[in-house]
Amino acid sequence: MIDTLYSLDALGTSRAFFLALLLGCGFGFTLERAGFSSSRRLAGVFYFTDMAVVKVMFSALITAMLGLSYLVGFGWIQLDQIFLMPTIYGAQIVGGLLFGVGFVMGGWCPGTAAVGLAAGRIDALVFLLGVVGGSILFNEFFSVIQVLYTAGDQGTLMAYTSVGMSRNGFILAFTLMAVAAFWLVEWVEKVRTGRAPYRGSPFLKAFSLALVVLAGGLFVLSPAPSEAGEKAASIVPPVVEKTLMGRIEKGQDHIEPEDIADRLMAGEPDLVIVDVRPAAEFKVFHIRGAINVPLAELAETLKLQKNRGLIVLYSNGMTHPAQARDSLQRQGFDNVYLLTDGLRGFQDRCLKPVSLRTEPLSMADAARVNAWRAFFTGPAISKSDVATAPVHVAMPRAVETHSLASMIGTPGLKIIDLRPQPEYNTAHIPGSLSVNLESFRGNIGGVPSMLLPPAMLAAQLSLLGLKGTDSIVLVSGDKLYDTTLAAMAFERLGHLNYAVMNGGYAKWAQESRPSDAVLPVVTESKYPVDKKADDFTVDFKMVLAQLGKPGVVVIDVRPADFYSGKKTDEARAGHIPGAISRPFTEDLVTGPDKVVSFKPTAALAAAYSQIIPAKDTLVIVHCRTGHQASQTYFVLKRLLGYANVRWYDAGWTEWAARLELPIVNETQAIKNKQ
Amino acid sequence: MTPGTDHHHVEPEPYGNPYLVGVLLGLVLLASYAILGAGLGASGGIARVGAALSMSVAPSHTLSSEYFGKWGANPLHYYLVFMFVGTLVGGLFSALLANRARIQVERGATTSVGRRLGYALAGGVLVGFASRLAQGCTSGQALSGGALLLSGSFVFLVCLFASGYAAAWFVRKQWHD
Repeated sequence: MIDTLYSLDALGTSRAFFLALLLGCGFGFTLERAGFSSSRRLAGVFYFTDMAVVKVMFSALITAMLGLSYLVGFGWIQLDQIFLMPTIYGAQIVGGLLFGVGFVMGGWCPGTAAVGLAAGRIDALVFLLGVVGGSILFNEFFSVIQVLYTAGDQGTLMAYTSVGMSRNGFILAFTLMAVAAFWLVEWVEKVRTGRAPYRGSPFLKAFSLALVVLAGGLFVLSPAPSEAGEKAASIVPPVVEKTLMGRIEKGQDHIEPEDIADRLMAGEPDLVIVDVRPAAEFKVFHIRGAINVPLAELAETLKLQKNRGLIVLYSNGMTHPAQARDSLQRQGFDNVYLLTDGLRGFQDRCLKPVSLRTEPLSMADAARVNAWRAFFTGPAISKSDVATAPVHVAMPRAVETHSLASMIGTPGLKIIDLRPQPEYNTAHIPGSLSVNLESFRGNIGGVPSMLLPPAMLAAQLSLLGLKGTDSIVLVSGDKLYDTTLAAMAFERLGHLNYAVMNGGYAKWAQESRPSDAVLPVVTESKYPVDKKADDFTVDFKMVLAQLGKPGVVVIDVRPADFYSGKKTDEARAGHIPGAISRPFTEDLVTGPDKVVSFKPTAALAAAYSQIIPAKDTLVIVHCRTGHQASQTYFVLKRLLGYANVRWYDAGWTEWAARLELPIVNETQAIKNKQ
Repeated sequence: MTPGTDHHHVEPEPYGNPYLVGVLLGLVLLASYAILGAGLGASGGIARVGAALSMSVAPSHTLSSEYFGKWGANPLHYYLVFMFVGTLVGGLFSALLANRARIQVERGATTSVGRRLGYALAGGVLVGFASRLAQGCTSGQALSGGALLLSGSFVFLVCLFASGYAAAWFVRKQWHD
C-alpha cells in the first residue's frame, strides 16, 4: 500500500516540494518531446493541420486512467488517497468555454507555455505574463465571480456515476472512443496535409489493441463489486494476502470473549466493537458498547479508527465477520479482529450463569463471570464512568446519521435537538431533548451573546437531566454551526464525550429514519461544574497581545464582505489587522433538501494546511458573536487535530466597539486612495 | 514542419511518436498520483506567482482578499510552484537535446510580431482567468482530472475544445504564411 503525500497531509513539506520539482521535470520533458514547445503545432489542432494535441493528450489520459485503475485493482493505492477535485458545473462550463478561446488565441496553455518559454519562445513568455495577469484579475473580481465559482457544486462526482455506468464499463467505452478518435485524426491529417505516417500503421493497430485489451482486463481484475464496502479491491494483493494468511494461521486475528469482556469493563480507549448483524437482531440484544454498522458502510464508518486501537467484529457465527475483516484488511486496516465463536461464544463463555455451567469454576472465575453478567446484562449504571466508556470511544466527533441510528437506545446516549421548537414539536429523533441555543448565551460584562459561565451552563444541563458521563449527540437544522456552539458549552464544562450529527436533521429526514413527537421523560440531575476546563476562550487583550507575532494565525470566519468592510452590523467595519479570511461556509457543502454537511476531512485538512503552518501553531478564530467561529474551532480542534486553537467569543462585536483597538478596512482604504 | 522563421545550422530533430510520448506523459502523471496524491498542474503555480506579485505590491490588500488571501503571506510556498519550475527545467533539457531551443516569436510569415504577441497576451489573460474559475487548466483539470474520471474535468475538456474550434476561425490570420 502506498501512502501518498496528500493522504499524509504532507503536500506542504520540503520533501513534497522536491518531489514536485522532479515530477515537473518529467512533465516538462515529455511535453517538449511531444513538440508542445511550438505554439504553431498546438494551435494546429484547431485548424486540423496537426492533431498531436489529441494524440498525446488522450494517450496520456488513457495511460494514467488505466494505470491508476490497475494500481487500485491490485490494492496498492486507494482513490481516497488522491485529491479528487470537486465538480462545479457552472464554473467548469464557463471556465472551459473561456479557456478554449484563450487557448486558440494565445496558441498556448499554461503547461505548454512553460516548455515553450524554456525553448526560447517569446510568445510563450508574453502568454505566461497574461496568465499571471488573468489570475490577478480573477482575485480582484472574486467577489463578483464568487456566485459562478460555486455554481452547481456537486462535490466529488465521478463521470461514470453521472452517466449511470459501471466504472469498468465507462473506462472501456472511453478507451474505445479515444482509439476511434486516434484513427479519425490520422485520417483528418491525411486529408488536410497529405501526411499521416501512423495512419493504419501496424504500430497504431497494436497500440489501439493494447489499450482496449488493458481496459477490458479491468473486468477480470476487479469485477463489479457485490458490496460497496469492497469496492476498493476485489483481487487480493499477494503481500496483503500473505500477511493475512499468516495471521489467521497463528490465530492472531482472533480475540477471546473473556479478553474482550475485560477490556470493555476496563473502558479501554480506542476499542470499537462492531456488531455486523442486521439492525433488528442488534436491537434485541448486543454486547454492551457495541455499535451496529451495515457491512457496506464498515470502511467509511470506521475510517477514523483505521490502524488506531482495536476494531473487533462479531456476528452470530464467524463467516460474515471474517469476510468483512478480509475486506477491511485489503483496504489497509491492520487492526481488525474477530470475536472467537461470535456472539454465541460470548454468551456461552462470559454471560452463562455459573449455576448453569457443567464445568466446575474456581472461586475467582465465578466472580469474574458474575462481574461480567452484572456489567453486560444488568441495567445501565449511568453514574459509572465505566458504563459509558465504550460508547465514548466508539463515538466519532462528527457522527453520521446511520451511526447515530445504530446507537439509539444505548444507555447514556443523549441527543440534543437545537432546531426551533415548532420543528422539534412536529417531529424529532426519538428520545431527543429540545434546547434553545440562546439559553446557553447571555450578556457578560456588557458584551452581548457570550457563552455563559460554567455554573450557569451546568444548571441548564441539570434541568435537562444530563450527567457528566453521558454521550451527547448534537443535532441542528440547516445551521450546522448551532451544534458547534452548543458543543462549546460542553467543551467549557470539560465534557468532551460529544459528537455533532453531520448533515443535521434534514439528512435524518431525507433518509426517512425514525422520528416521533414524544417528549422524553427527564429527571433533573446535578450536573457537575468544572470551572477550569475552559482553556480555549480568549479575550481581546490576549488577541491584541498576539497580533503580529510570528507564527500566530488569526482567522476571521465571517462572510467575506464583512471581513473586507463592505458590510457591517457593528460599530466599525473591517477586520483585525493581520487576520486571514476563511468564511466558515467554506468548510461546508450543501446538498439536496438543504442538507448541510462538513466537507470531507481530507479536503478540510488540505485547505487549512495552506493557512496554518503547523499542527501546534497558535490559532485564534473569531466571527461577530462567536457562533460561526465555534464551527471553525470544532473543525480545527476536533476534526483536524490542531492542538492550540483559541476562540475569541466576544469577536467583532467587542473589537469594533472598542475604538482604541486597531482595525483594517479595505473598502475605506480604497476609497481614500481614490 | 520546422517551426519558426529563422535559420540555424543545426536542424531541429523530428518530433517523437506522439502516442508513445503520450504514454510517457501518462506515466509521469501516474507517478504524480502515486507519490503526491495529486495530479500534474501548471496554472496553479503561475497563479501563485500572481499572488506573490500582488503581495509585493499591496500586502494587506492581498492578504485580506478572498481568493489570494487564503494562500497566506507566502503564496510561493506551494508544491505546484516547484512543479512549474521543474516543467521549465525539463522542457529546456528536452529542447536542447533536440536542437529546438531558439529565441523567436512563433507566427505565420505574413503576421506581424505585434499582432502575434497581442493575441498571446489576450489569450493568456483569458486562460489565466478561466483556469482560476475552473480550478485548473489543461494539465490540472482536463488531463489530471479526466484520468481520475471526474465529471467536472470532462465537462471542462468538452467546453474547452468546443469554444476553441468555434473561435479558431476568428484568430486564424496569425498563422497565415
